[in-house]
Amino acid sequence: MKTLAARTVYMVVVLVLSSIAVFYAIRLSGGDVTAARLPASASFEQREAFKEQLGLNDPIYEQYFNYMGRVLSGDLGSSLTNNARISDLLLTHGRNSLILGAAAFVLVFAIGIPLGMLASLRRNSWWDGGIMSFSVAGMAVPNFWLALLAVWLFASVLGWFPSAGCCSPRQLVLPAVVLAMEGIALTVRMTRSAMLENLNQDFVRTLRAGGLGEVSVIGRHVFRNALVPIVSLAGLRIGQIVGYALVVETIFGWPGLGQVLVNAVLRRDYPVAQFFSLVLVTIVLLGNWLADVGYTMVNPRLRKA
Amino acid sequence: MTSDAETAPRLEDWNERLAAYEAARHMGAFRSALRRMRFNKLLLIGVALAILVLAAGILGPIISGVDHTLQSFRDTHLPPGSPGHLLGTDHLGRDVAARLFIGIRVSLLVAAGVTLLSLILGLLLGMFSGYLGGWRDRTIRGVVDFVWGFPLILVAVLLAGGLGGGLFPVILAVGLVNTAAIARVVRGEVLALSEREFIEAARAGGLSTPRIMFKHIFPNILAPALVLASYYVAVAIIAEAALSFIGLGAQPPTPSLGGMVSDGRNFLQQNHWESTIPGLAIMLLVLAVSLIGDGLRDVFDPRLRHEAKGVESQ
Repeated sequence: MKTLAARTVYMVVVLVLSSIAVFYAIRLSGGDVTAARLPASASFEQREAFKEQLGLNDPIYEQYFNYMGRVLSGDLGSSLTNNARISDLLLTHGRNSLILGAAAFVLVFAIGIPLGMLASLRRNSWWDGGIMSFSVAGMAVPNFWLALLAVWLFASVLGWFPSAGCCSPRQLVLPAVVLAMEGIALTVRMTRSAMLENLNQDFVRTLRAGGLGEVSVIGRHVFRNALVPIVSLAGLRIGQIVGYALVVETIFGWPGLGQVLVNAVLRRDYPVAQFFSLVLVTIVLLGNWLADVGYTMVNPRLRKA
Repeated sequence: MTSDAETAPRLEDWNERLAAYEAARHMGAFRSALRRMRFNKLLLIGVALAILVLAAGILGPIISGVDHTLQSFRDTHLPPGSPGHLLGTDHLGRDVAARLFIGIRVSLLVAAGVTLLSLILGLLLGMFSGYLGGWRDRTIRGVVDFVWGFPLILVAVLLAGGLGGGLFPVILAVGLVNTAAIARVVRGEVLALSEREFIEAARAGGLSTPRIMFKHIFPNILAPALVLASYYVAVAIIAEAALSFIGLGAQPPTPSLGGMVSDGRNFLQQNHWESTIPGLAIMLLVLAVSLIGDGLRDVFDPRLRHEAKGVESQ
């Protein structure tokens, strides 16, 4: 449990450091923040007064502490472009992102693990070849391109699913599948190689020689061992989904956290960009921390390190 | 003391000979790798595709001679094969082929920038971290793990938020994340190398640390690092396309493949080629680079070759 504490301390330190990095990166942006809010005819004095009012003329470390203080006390401020309260944005868009992300997360394992098992059990067959080709394609195809093809085929040609929008189950299908695709491809590979590694172990031969049925050998011994690295590293998929959500939500017009952040960056809406960067970075770090802890727990050799 | 002074030069001499022997063995490995390369069909296909794409990017604009910014509101959404527009025109009547060539150029430029940045930084960081050890190792590893843990697109969006749109933040973001990936692998290789006799001999012979690092370690990690970097070229191309697609990469009027796919997606019904042609070009580019990366890994990484053999023989 000492490692658990160490990992947690590391995560918190990294979280603080990245909050500083994010703050500096966004606050130092070259663009003129007043352009988003004031009319083009505003005078220099008006712009300066506006900056003063936002506290943008204070030293940047002071701005950081003020900002973090306000965030931690729940005062998140509001958008520069449409005056929406950031706490409202967090609630509505966070909920949408949670739906999409959870759906993708479930799909990654619900599709990836069975396919990987099938490929390993029918090794060197057409099944194996087909599934592994699918996996290679899933990792090589950029997800915005996949999204476009999916929209073209399933929305324009076949008309099975709407091309964009939120948040009915039918609207969820395409973005969730596209978001999950790389994770599925990766999980297929990991499952297959973990299964094969275990199938070649001496204990499997011993179990079979001892007369244990094949279903039991595979299901109770090989599969359970193979599952360990996949489940323990599941946290890494969270970070992956967060990263791709920025693209997928934008394409499908899914009003989630990723779309808010991308739009805020494009429009130089720095309070919104600041806060949602912080939120997404925190989620990614939590996912990595989960994977760290999970992997350490199942690998006794790592515990000492 | 005197015996030390006498043996030290001889030890160094012995070490130099050992290093020469290692280098010769390395050359042998390189030559046999070259031989294997000729039999690696996937690698050859990848190289052929890459030459095709490179030619399109470099020579295409010169040969076609069509201005990629020229708009014509009478000739919008022309399908491929229209007279004067081999691949058709987009929603502003601009020649798709001309834009495609420049887009490929942008992709290659970003890929080259990212690879150069991540290879140099990754090699240096990995080498310092692995060979020097101690607090330097811990510091570098901390930073590298920190960067490596972040999704590429998120880092790029954050950097774009700070630096504004354009290709520079994209190259920087993708380059830094790839640096972390390369540094991690290089560090592992260096750790393994440091245990080898010829490095121990070099240390015993009293060679200076920089000399050991750059004359004896560096040549031995260059090949695996290059193989890894070739693999990450695909990552760079995809990331640039994705970022340009959401509007954060190349800024108009500079065409980029991802931006072209994005521009065309509103006209899928009228003329889907405006999106599908640049999309296919991205796929082709990624395919070429991945085939080369996979092929090089097969050829150069004996460990993976054994694994592959093991699976085949079962």
